[in-house]
This record gives sequence, structure tokens and C-alpha cells, in this order.
Amino acid sequence: MSKVQEVAAAVENGKVKIVAGLVQEALDEGVSADEILNVGMIGAMGVVGEKFKNNEIFVPEMLIAARAMKKGIEVLTPALKAAGSEPIGKLILGTVAGDLHDIGKNLVGMMIEGAGFDVIDLGVDVPAEKFIECMKANPDCKIVALSALLTTTMPAIKNTIDAIVASGLRDTVKIMIGGAPVTQAFADEVGADGYSEDAASAAELAKKLLAETK
Amino acid sequence: MDIKEELKVVGELDGVYFNSFSFGKAPKYNTPITPKENFLRFMKGKDYMWTPCSADFVTIMPSILPDNVSRAFVYDTQAFDILPTAKDMFGVEWEYVASAGGAMVRPGNPVLVPDICEWEKYVKFPDISSYDWEGAKERFKNVVNDDRVVVSWVFNGLFERLISFMEFENAALALIDEDEQEYVHSLFSRLCDMYDELFDKLHTYLNVDIVYFHDDWGSQRAPFFSKAVADEMLVPYLKRVCDSLHKRGMFIDFHSCGQVEILVPAMIEAGVDIWSGQPMNDRKRIMTNYGDDIKLNLAPDMSYAMPSSQEEAAEFARKAEESIKTFINDYKPYMKSMVVSAMSAGNPKLYELVYAATREAYSK
Repeated sequence: MSKVQEVAAAVENGKVKIVAGLVQEALDEGVSADEILNVGMIGAMGVVGEKFKNNEIFVPEMLIAARAMKKGIEVLTPALKAAGSEPIGKLILGTVAGDLHDIGKNLVGMMIEGAGFDVIDLGVDVPAEKFIECMKANPDCKIVALSALLTTTMPAIKNTIDAIVASGLRDTVKIMIGGAPVTQAFADEVGADGYSEDAASAAELAKKLLAETK
Repeated sequence: MDIKEELKVVGELDGVYFNSFSFGKAPKYNTPITPKENFLRFMKGKDYMWTPCSADFVTIMPSILPDNVSRAFVYDTQAFDILPTAKDMFGVEWEYVASAGGAMVRPGNPVLVPDICEWEKYVKFPDISSYDWEGAKERFKNVVNDDRVVVSWVFNGLFERLISFMEFENAALALIDEDEQEYVHSLFSRLCDMYDELFDKLHTYLNVDIVYFHDDWGSQRAPFFSKAVADEMLVPYLKRVCDSLHKRGMFIDFHSCGQVEILVPAMIEAGVDIWSGQPMNDRKRIMTNYGDDIKLNLAPDMSYAMPSSQEEAAEFARKAEESIKTFINDYKPYMKSMVVSAMSAGNPKLYELVYAATREAYSK
């Protein structure tokens, strides 16, 4: 097994304690930071996402894989910077106004980060204005992801999208939505560009939407 | 057997408030045995006369318990105004969220237990005996001694409690992190001691028959954790919870939201009597496979908007009756493996139709 494969296996299996050492060993062996990132980390998180989607693993295993990846990234970051490597894109994420639920939103953020994005997480109960402010401050951000867990807070997704349209920024971003009561039909109704039903699918959707912006 | 006669309302029973909403008086039916006797027979699987249903139960959640207050879930004999924020038995602050109709811990608030390995440093267990049990006993005396089955919710269960102490992600991770697991075990064990004391008080002072033990184990699409993790980390303690109740002649109605069908065997292993789950689980399949080992708590879907005018009230009543009839038709073959929700106690039609359908079926 190559060192990169060892890194990937450690991330996949959430071996938090050994990932950093393996990443360092791979760098010492001359493996490029990009390869470690793409194969050892992003590739591994893709496998994790797939297993999660298929109910082969559950939330704790996904969380521990993400934690392992984070440990690896800490070691990898200086080498990535030196190589001029950049995240594949920037995404703004948040749970809409009036809704305090963050579990699903956090899992989505983790998987999207695992797919190579720079994620700006605005947290929960986020008013539309805050999303817009953040978009203005990050003009390179191409995707906004909105979450709601309750049928009673779903209208806040629409309000947020309407506010983004009114701000004149709608054409600068793709908007994806999710959360327990959200459906594709609702996404179509409120003018979102995409909907996903779980965290792993959200990462795939983010990549697809990003590709559409290019 | 004259079902019409048996369903005659022969008296009024004291009602409770859900927070500030009054349910009013509850009907006392002319049943041949008391609802409590029938429920006990039903749980033993012998000589029961109908499937325990809605008005057979009375739910109480006394305001003396900080957990009930902080979760904005008080069923008491006097009106209770929901507080915008309140602390639970452990001092964790809960915030009422009107859109959710309940309270939650605001994400990002400082956690009670920053490191599970040091939980003993951060967690101060409440003195259960310090709550005004005598006062509650006096207040509830007319509600809990009238032969209805007394249900009391216990917020929070084991995993939910862990989440409230350290947020969801840290709690979920602690279940599988080998450096943290032993501390989760010791915390759960200590919580079981506390639940035992709490159940004793609920039983002794308030005549509680069923503890509705609230512990969400899943999300809409899947369980939060695998069966193996449940077996290792939760089942031994849920078993202690069940044993605590059973040794007092009480029962457990285990509430877990989410698609948790694969965890039903874990509930059975722990000794759960009744499971209150959500419709995304194939409940008919579960009752077919496990109906001898666990009962399900079900209710008709009446999630349409409450009426706000006379015209709407008539339409609501019509829809409700239709839902109840559909529900009974759908679940008639399963009525021996289920109880019908105490939460629907305000709907006499539901009671009458379930009673009539099952009373007749069981008398044959």
C-alpha cells in the first residue's frame, strides 16, 4: 500500500491519531501535497460519503473521518500553500432565520469541506441580510447553501432567496437548499438551483453547481 | 356486550393544562373494567378487552421538574406560561423556539462538558428529592387516582442528555472514540442512578404507570449510530432504565424520532415495552416482525391546520373522522401490537371508534 493510500485508509477509518504522521511521511517521501489532498483526503471523504449515503456507516464514523482529515490538513497546509494550491471553490452555508437546528447543516459543511471547498459557516438562525453581507464580502463565493429543519421555517428559505434576488446578487451565485422537510419540488418552487437529501449528496451537488459556474 | 352503552359518558375526570392551554374535563366512559386494568391486562397479553387508546391515558409533566419547564413541556393542573429560556436539572439553558413548538439548546452556547473525560468536574447531579413532590402529589391527586393510565415524559434520555451536555457532534463522536467511551459509560451509569430515583418519585408521589422516555436515536433518513454502537454504548443503560421501571410495575414508552427501524431489536434487547416512532419507519412491518416483543404507539395523521372559525371547525371534524377511519382500517390487523397515542386524548371520536373496533374484535 502506498503512503497516500495509507493516508486515505486512515482518513476513511477515522484514525485521528496517526493521520498527521502518515501525511508527514508521505510529504517526506516526496509525494506532492496536491496528491495527498486529492487522493488521501478528498478521495477518502468521497468514499466516506458514499458509505454514509448507503447506511454502511453513520454519523459518528463520518465525524471521526472528518476529524482525521482535519488533522491531516493541519500538516498539509504549509505544503499546499507553498505549492500555490487553492480550495476548489468557496461556499456560504447557514441555517435560515428562525431555525436553530445545526446538526444536518454541520454535516453538510463537513462533507463539502471534505470535497475541497472553503466553507464559510454563518451558523444558525441567520437572517437574509447576513447571507447578503457575506456574499458582498466574498465576491469569489459561487455557492450559497441554505438549511431548514422545520416546515415552519421553510418559508425563510424562500425569503432568503427573494432577498438575494432583490439585492441584485442572484446571478452571481448558485443556491442549494436542504433539510428534513425540503424537497426538489420545494426547491423548484422557491427558485433554488439544487436540492440534496443528505450530506454526501450535498457535496456532490456543490461540485456540480460549481462546475456550472465555470 | 353493548358497545354503545359502554361508550356512554358517565362522568367527568379532571383535566390538565398543556402549558397554558386547558384540555378541560375528560370523559369517563362506562367501560366494563377500568382503563388501567385493561392496560395492565393488555401489556400482559391476557384478557384485555380493547386496545388502550387516547382517553385511557392522562399525561402529566409537573412544573416542579426543571426539565419539563426548560423543554416548555408542562402538563400540570394549573396553567404554565412558557419561559423564553430556562435551565434544566443540570443547569443547561434551553431556549423556546416558537416555530418548533419546543425548546432547544442554542448551538454555540458554551457547553456544560467541554471534555467528557472530565465530566465529573463539570456535572453537578440534581437532588431529585429536593423538588416539591408533596406539593405535586396534592395538586395532582384528582388526576392520577381515577383509574386512567398515568403517563409522564422524561426529558432527556441518555443520548439526548449527552448532546445537551456537549453538543451533538461531540456527543456522537464520544460514542465511538475509544479514548472517550469509558467516560460515556460512567456518565450513563450515573444517569441511570438518577433516573432510578426520579422514577421512584414519579411512581410514589404521582402514581405514574408509564414513563415516556425521550431519546432521539435517528434523523429522517437513518439512525444516528449503528446497531453495534447502540448495543455497546446505549443498550446496557437503557436496560437499566427499563429495569428500574419494571421493578416498580411501571412501563416504558420509548420515544425516538427518526428512521431507526434497524435499532428496534436493540430496544427489544433493552426491555422497551412500547416504542413511539415516526411514520418514516415501516411500522406495519415492525409489528409483523416484532409485535410479540414490543408494542408501537401510533396515532392517526391529523397534522392539518387547526380550525380558526366555525366553518373550518366543521371541516376539521370531517377530516379528522376520515383520518381516524383510515387509521383504523389500516391498522386493524395490528391492534394487538399497538396502543393509540395518549397525545390524542382530546379526540372522543378516536376513542369511540378504536374502542368499538377492538372491543368487538377481542370479544370473539
